[in-house]
Amino acid sequence: MLERICYLPGLDPETVSWKTLNSARGAQGLSVAVPLLSEQQIAHVAQHVRRNAHKHLRAMPVMRIVEIIDAAVARLLDRQDPYRKRMEQALPAMTGYDAEMVRLGLTRYLKTFRKPELLKFLAEDFSNPGILDDFQPLAKGGYGQAFGPPVLGHIWAGNVPALPLWSLVCGLLVKSGNIGKVSSAEPLFATWFAELLAEVAPELAGCLAVVWWQGGDSQPEQAFLQAADMTLAYGSNASLAAIQSRMPQGKRFLGFGHKVSFAMISATALDPAKVAETAHRAAHDIGQYDQQGCFAPHVVFVESGAQISPRMFWRYLARSLAAFGQRYPRRALTLAEDNSLAAWRQQEEFVQGAEVTGDMRGEWSVSFHESGQGFGASSLNRAVRVVAVDDLADVPAIVAPYRALLQTVGIAVPPDALFTLSKLLGDVGVTRIAALGDMTSPEAGWHHDGRFNLADLVNVTEIDARAPAQADKLAFYDD
Amino acid sequence: MTQDTIVRRVLDFIDLGDASDDAFNELALLLFEYQFQHNRPFAKFARTRGKTPRSVTHWSEIPAVPINAFKFLDLTCCRPEDAVAVFMTSGTTQKGRRGKSHHASLAVYNASMRHNFAERLMRGDHNLDMGILFPTPEAMPHSSLAHYLDIAMRSFGSANSENLMRSDGIDVPRLMGALERAEATGTPYALLGASFSLVHAMDALQAQNRRFQLPPGSRILDTGGFKGQSRELEPDAFYDALSDAFGVPRRDCIGMYGMTELSTQFYDNGNADCPAPKSGPHWIRSRVVNPLTTMPVPKGETGVLLHTDLAHYNIVTSILTEDAAIETDEGFLLLGRVEGAEAVGCSMAVDAFLQAASAI
Repeated sequence: MLERICYLPGLDPETVSWKTLNSARGAQGLSVAVPLLSEQQIAHVAQHVRRNAHKHLRAMPVMRIVEIIDAAVARLLDRQDPYRKRMEQALPAMTGYDAEMVRLGLTRYLKTFRKPELLKFLAEDFSNPGILDDFQPLAKGGYGQAFGPPVLGHIWAGNVPALPLWSLVCGLLVKSGNIGKVSSAEPLFATWFAELLAEVAPELAGCLAVVWWQGGDSQPEQAFLQAADMTLAYGSNASLAAIQSRMPQGKRFLGFGHKVSFAMISATALDPAKVAETAHRAAHDIGQYDQQGCFAPHVVFVESGAQISPRMFWRYLARSLAAFGQRYPRRALTLAEDNSLAAWRQQEEFVQGAEVTGDMRGEWSVSFHESGQGFGASSLNRAVRVVAVDDLADVPAIVAPYRALLQTVGIAVPPDALFTLSKLLGDVGVTRIAALGDMTSPEAGWHHDGRFNLADLVNVTEIDARAPAQADKLAFYDD
Repeated sequence: MTQDTIVRRVLDFIDLGDASDDAFNELALLLFEYQFQHNRPFAKFARTRGKTPRSVTHWSEIPAVPINAFKFLDLTCCRPEDAVAVFMTSGTTQKGRRGKSHHASLAVYNASMRHNFAERLMRGDHNLDMGILFPTPEAMPHSSLAHYLDIAMRSFGSANSENLMRSDGIDVPRLMGALERAEATGTPYALLGASFSLVHAMDALQAQNRRFQLPPGSRILDTGGFKGQSRELEPDAFYDALSDAFGVPRRDCIGMYGMTELSTQFYDNGNADCPAPKSGPHWIRSRVVNPLTTMPVPKGETGVLLHTDLAHYNIVTSILTEDAAIETDEGFLLLGRVEGAEAVGCSMAVDAFLQAASAI
């Protein structure tokens, strides 16, 4: 089946030339055609989005937008819905991830975009979400209204399916027209979500677009950056720096670069009655989407002193990963990924002097460091390092040199330690602390990399506190 | 089993001219036992993989040591200080750490080199006028390539042969002189060097607007590798340029593939078409495998090379490379170094992490 992807309102598909993408993973039974867009075509689509957003979206009450997104997401949660069916079939074929893992992951993720959750996005950033609709009183006096950029550009990564939904929802909530560039690795979700949204709310059909160009091709990218009022992008630090260098003067750019995450397990969680659950939850964080998300752990720090030693926990974790792999097999790797994983194992064994255990076929790998070697990045694809520490309070100092890269910590500790350790971790740059097992499913409204999802997108227009009084003097009722 | 006995066995095996599967297997298992006994880091490596002389019954089961390990372990059966030569890699990866191969004697290395070179490059000639475009062993005592080319010249070079390198690069006047002499006398000439040296030589010719038409029977041997030392050419462009500059047909431009971590080299039979399949002699066997499982990939698919080199008796026989290749009926097509995957999306791979950390 040849699937034409992208969503190009205002453009006649027959005037576009299409190219069939070669999937690195040889997606079975699915071939995907992407549009080769000229600079003019990208500018044209963006202009169409700008006009339509101005006409239909800018004046729409934010609660109406919430309801539309909620209705679209509700359809995607319905396993009988045609869009959902297509996603369940095509996303595993496209990405190589286990079908059941994708199905469960999709549901868990989509649930965070229902109406009550969307309200959290709004409440997190605005004490009065009405500020998106009208001028509202400000605490300091005066009035303010928040305006999203007329056209918000998104450059998405394809490591985890459905990833574009997050920023797309944020763009819609601030009433921006949205134009997003999909990755070749997973171009499907954004396309289908755009089509579905147009079905649910025809008035929004022209308010968003999904485009593609070959990563690194600077001409379409230039046209895209020029056409959007503000751009946010996900990617490697190098590719973000390249985009930033091409940003037109005066336009804002929000980059979400590479991050690393890790887990911390207290001696308490190694109680013989609890250790199996602990290992199970850690294995889930490592196995879900084969560690491809930035919230997946690279290292598990394990505290000594319990009846179950860190070395024994290493064995528990190995068994849990094996079990997870039985239920949700890891995707087939490319030769380069195989090599990267082999190199990681060699690095652990020969350079770090660690003990390495793993499945013969490389489905999972766990190394064990008795002490001191500390932090390091994994090759991903279910490879993780277990590091024994005397005290979890030592961990912040170990990770401190990597401040700019830190993101999520999955933690299994008692309540008091949760808060004392979180304080230390926040101080070295960690931006999210989750329970072990929940690392890969951030909650609605989470401050992505410590930033504001919506507030970072808007400009606030203020009416000076003294202006109404002066205006009063010009009123017809002025005495 | 003493070292002398092992050396004798290997030399005899090289002399056989050809070998049955059984004979290869027998010597490979003998070497595994010898290395397991005398090479302690290797024994530990094998044991952690559940491989011992008792459990291994076929040469293909001998655990292959990844070339990365050569940077961190002293893989040698003799005491390191007793080695007569230590060949080292150039240290372009792992923050300058160099992979080491200790040689207890060079008798086997040299015999392996000569037997193979005689057949694949000399092609029946006893000697040739040779020019070497690579530093001498005196200048680079730890370079296996310098040693290899030196043996080539000493064993197969005529009296007119010479090393054409000075400490600051190619001795261009001498190179020109040698090429002019070959053209004038009609004596076949052999030019041998690393790919980057040959590029430098071609650049030097071009700077003087010179081209040569070497006599029939002349040949060029390139040992691969640009290593950032010259501009890099695609194989087709490289052999076209060689052929154009020296007047040697592409079928007589022979590519050698060797590694510091081996005692045996591979050759193609000229590069009329690229990539040209490469193959080795009967004392080395190569498989194209998955780098993670070390199981052979289906024929025709890309994997990495795993070599079992019986001439590498003092070190380890089986090594896992990072060279991507495809198996063919004639040998294997070498595709270059296999790269680790780039990190995608918001997660990151090891390289990027190390970069970030070193920037702090």
